[in-house]
Amino acid sequence: MNQIRINRRQAIAGIGATALASTIRPVWAQSVAPITIVINQSPWFDSFSKTVQAYEAETGNKVELDVNPFAGSLEKQRNSVRAAAGTYDILIMNSGWFAEMYFGGFVTAISDIDPGFQLDPDLFTLANSIYFDPASKTMAPSGKLMSMPIQPNLPMLYYRGDLYKEKGLKVVETFDDLFNNAKALNSPPDVYGIVQRGARGAYTVSYDFFPYLFGMGGGIYKDPVAGDYSLTLNNDVGREALDYYIRLAKDAGHPKTAAMDQAEVIQALVTGHAAHASVVIAAWSQMDDPEKSIVVDKMEFAPTPHAPGLPPGPALGHWLGGISHNVPDERKRAAVEFFRWFQRPEAQMVNAKAGGIPLNAAVYNDPMTEERQFRWMKPLAAALPHAVNPFAFPEASEVISVLELGLNRSIAGEISSVDALNSMSDEIEAIMAKHAYKTGKGAPLG
Amino acid sequence: MSGMVTTPARHIAWHLILAICAVVVLVPVVWTVAAGFRTQISLLMGEMAFKPVLSNFAEVLFSKTSDFLINYRNSLLIGTCSTVLCVSIATLGAWSLHRMRWRAWVVNSFLGWTLIFNMMPPVALASAWYTMTRSVGLDNSFLALILAHTTLNLPMAIWLMSVFVRDVPRELEEAALMDGANTPVLLRYVVLPIIAPGLAATSVLTFIFSWNEFAVALTLSTKQSATVPVAIAKFAQDFEIQYTQMAASAALSILPALVLLLVAQRYIVAGLTQGAVK
Amino acid sequence: MNAKLDRTAARTADRNASPGSDTLWKWLTFSPAFAFMLLFSALPLINLVATSFQNVTWTGGQADHSAAGLSHYLALPADVLFRAGLVNTIIFAFVAVGGQAVLGLALALFTTKVTRGRTIYRAIFILPILIPGIVIGAIWKLMLNFDFGLVNKLLGAIAIAPHDWLGGSDTALLSVIAVDIWHWTPFCFLLFLAGLESLPQDVFEAANMDGANAWQEFIYVTLPLMIPTIVVTCAFRLVLAFKVFDEVYLLTGGGPGTSTEVISFTLYQRFFTEDQLGYGSAMSVAVIFIVSLLLVFAISAGRRFEGAAK
Repeated sequence: MNQIRINRRQAIAGIGATALASTIRPVWAQSVAPITIVINQSPWFDSFSKTVQAYEAETGNKVELDVNPFAGSLEKQRNSVRAAAGTYDILIMNSGWFAEMYFGGFVTAISDIDPGFQLDPDLFTLANSIYFDPASKTMAPSGKLMSMPIQPNLPMLYYRGDLYKEKGLKVVETFDDLFNNAKALNSPPDVYGIVQRGARGAYTVSYDFFPYLFGMGGGIYKDPVAGDYSLTLNNDVGREALDYYIRLAKDAGHPKTAAMDQAEVIQALVTGHAAHASVVIAAWSQMDDPEKSIVVDKMEFAPTPHAPGLPPGPALGHWLGGISHNVPDERKRAAVEFFRWFQRPEAQMVNAKAGGIPLNAAVYNDPMTEERQFRWMKPLAAALPHAVNPFAFPEASEVISVLELGLNRSIAGEISSVDALNSMSDEIEAIMAKHAYKTGKGAPLG
Repeated sequence: MSGMVTTPARHIAWHLILAICAVVVLVPVVWTVAAGFRTQISLLMGEMAFKPVLSNFAEVLFSKTSDFLINYRNSLLIGTCSTVLCVSIATLGAWSLHRMRWRAWVVNSFLGWTLIFNMMPPVALASAWYTMTRSVGLDNSFLALILAHTTLNLPMAIWLMSVFVRDVPRELEEAALMDGANTPVLLRYVVLPIIAPGLAATSVLTFIFSWNEFAVALTLSTKQSATVPVAIAKFAQDFEIQYTQMAASAALSILPALVLLLVAQRYIVAGLTQGAVK
Repeated sequence: MNAKLDRTAARTADRNASPGSDTLWKWLTFSPAFAFMLLFSALPLINLVATSFQNVTWTGGQADHSAAGLSHYLALPADVLFRAGLVNTIIFAFVAVGGQAVLGLALALFTTKVTRGRTIYRAIFILPILIPGIVIGAIWKLMLNFDFGLVNKLLGAIAIAPHDWLGGSDTALLSVIAVDIWHWTPFCFLLFLAGLESLPQDVFEAANMDGANAWQEFIYVTLPLMIPTIVVTCAFRLVLAFKVFDEVYLLTGGGPGTSTEVISFTLYQRFFTEDQLGYGSAMSVAVIFIVSLLLVFAISAGRRFEGAAK
């Protein structure tokens, strides 16, 4: 079985998918209706586009890609699903809004369209966010299969391998490691030990903060998978995480951390001014592009740190593919066919070779991951099973808005971390209660 | 403009002041256009001197995922059509409201209505219009975009033309009417030449607003009918901004607008003042 | 005063116009504008007001409207983002528009003083509004950057220490206002120039013969004649300033804290991102109401000034 697989992979890589189409027509690929996918413009769009082209070449099915700016993707998708008849068949949903689509009944479950659909066993399920049970409104494997993972974006620790070699430092595992290494490499203003986000934005500082919170064993809610949204943000772990975040910025970070957003963190990295940063893995290609960076080939990758004995807790910022509810059945079936093809290791190899981030664990076992330009794959494969989905409900943006403001103010020193955590918890509890979730306040921090 | 005689010294003084202001205005524009010729890292490093590259323009114009030339064409089409439509309707409407004996409450409430409409947040408006156009099957058409842009700019155009229309001296109007002119003749040969500069300015602004409009254009368009701002917005991505490509596309976007406006302004004024009855 | 003159002049004209056709033209010239407004603006406006009294939720792909009465309006004062947004936007709008009006008028006046090169100056001074808002936000963000920005580099050349313009809560709003003034002064410039170029010459000749100097000419002749143009330009700039989004979004995202939170953000956050259609509609209506009040105040102040000057 393995033997056959390797040969096919080599064949695809060697001959090219186009040539393959003329020689083999796999039994499982049927000829289906053309479909339209709505997706946003992004650095990984090219690799997705090439993967889709390989699908078209291999199966002869037509796929149209409607590319939109990120600021406007949600609007376009909402307009389409709320109309009487949808324009798009597959929606590429961001982690920020897929819950809205699930809860609102805007996407049809894959398992409803094709009850026999088998998910590839090596596929990363991304904190079970691809499942949804409409009855209990939770995301657990017992629910229906709602969507296909398209892009597993999560934060990784980017660090300067060359500086590590100079100072003889070891790869970061725990938070103490991170603090010590960042301090050792901190020589402002040339190089900051670490650059963190602190700015208030649509999903800025809280996204950077989550790996610290989850990696220390903390969380916002008690047991979201079971539907218990009691607040645990303002407990001792929460305080430890926030205090650590602030201390790290003060002792080894950028003096203007409270104003740093994603663009500025990446800017610090590519201009060689940061020794560490926690950035989404989808930004890896910028590091080695000589037109975009002066630290070509110097950046290394590791999973975000964790407390001893606990797994890392990177928060997902991923993309899922869902099938619109208001399109004709034949197009829904065609969409499922595309997913069936997309999840296979061969398709993910095409994705990876085109510069994308593969979703199938089988690809990460391929010798390709030994290549220098794919050095981020092994650390990512180590981190993916521990990925956390912080918000499994649609009103997440209200909660994020509270977190952004509170975290930003505490990092800027306007309020203490204890006050920030307590006030954020109170406000979030009010939001959850307003939307009739099972919730409750924790005891306020002293 | 002024009955004063300006001495040569005064002339130089005015030119100096204007030149300083021009520099302040120009520096960021030049910097933006120059950024289109740099590599991203050169821009992020804040280097003053750099080696120019053409890769950004190549990427913007010729890459496989770019429809920039199509977007250009769309913006030109929608911009000119909506501007012509909007300014004509606005001028006629302004003339009618202020010089054709409507009751005060009609004039004030209509003007007030346009102003209130102008205050509506684009986000709410865009989705409302999407629903409307989709229900008649026009959601991805040029017609919808042209009508939408015309409506968006109508309040400003009507108010501005109201100001310029009020400048037409009543004596001239009465003289023409006594000569037996009916309304179309009056408008074409008496009114238009006088309001020509104002008309030109309003047209220029209406075109600029249509050219740079984003929220409604995004909602009502797809790949084939997308406009330049939608294309430029694609460079602001979910976790990075592709500054140099955005700058290149902005540089390309300014060019036709600037040329069109300089040329058009002169011709509008010249063309309308032809045959003026003085 | 104006209305009375209108009626007298109209009656005079009426005597000489052919009966019947006047009414036809009156309606013909007005109906296109009226039709457009009716067709395209009535429905969205009515929908907005109606939704502000409802709660809208989605289940099974369908919308569910339930009555909410005045609850959304009553919730507005408690919204910390709404309060911050309103205060910031009012400050932003008045300071920015004031600055643009003064600068625009100055530039327009100076431009009329020269004969040669007027086209070139006109072209240069128009440039900033040709650039889309999103680009302005992105580029100025880079220029105001603490470590690498052009502004700090230029200041460094004249020995002024670098400043965190967008990150410091004391300078963030001012920086945003400065960018907005740079961006929108051309709007005022263009309109004021057109206005100045349409002014009747006879009034100036009379003033000149009376021996008025440049400053007196400006205060007593130019300014009063320009009041209608100034009022309308400022009114529209004010409305646009309340809708400002792209530039501020890219420059500061509303931070630091809430120091640059503008009302269009809050609206976008509540109405769109959080999908609270009812609450967002109520907020929109409230903002429209507040802006209308401000405008009525501004326009009537302008009319009073115009009347007094005459």
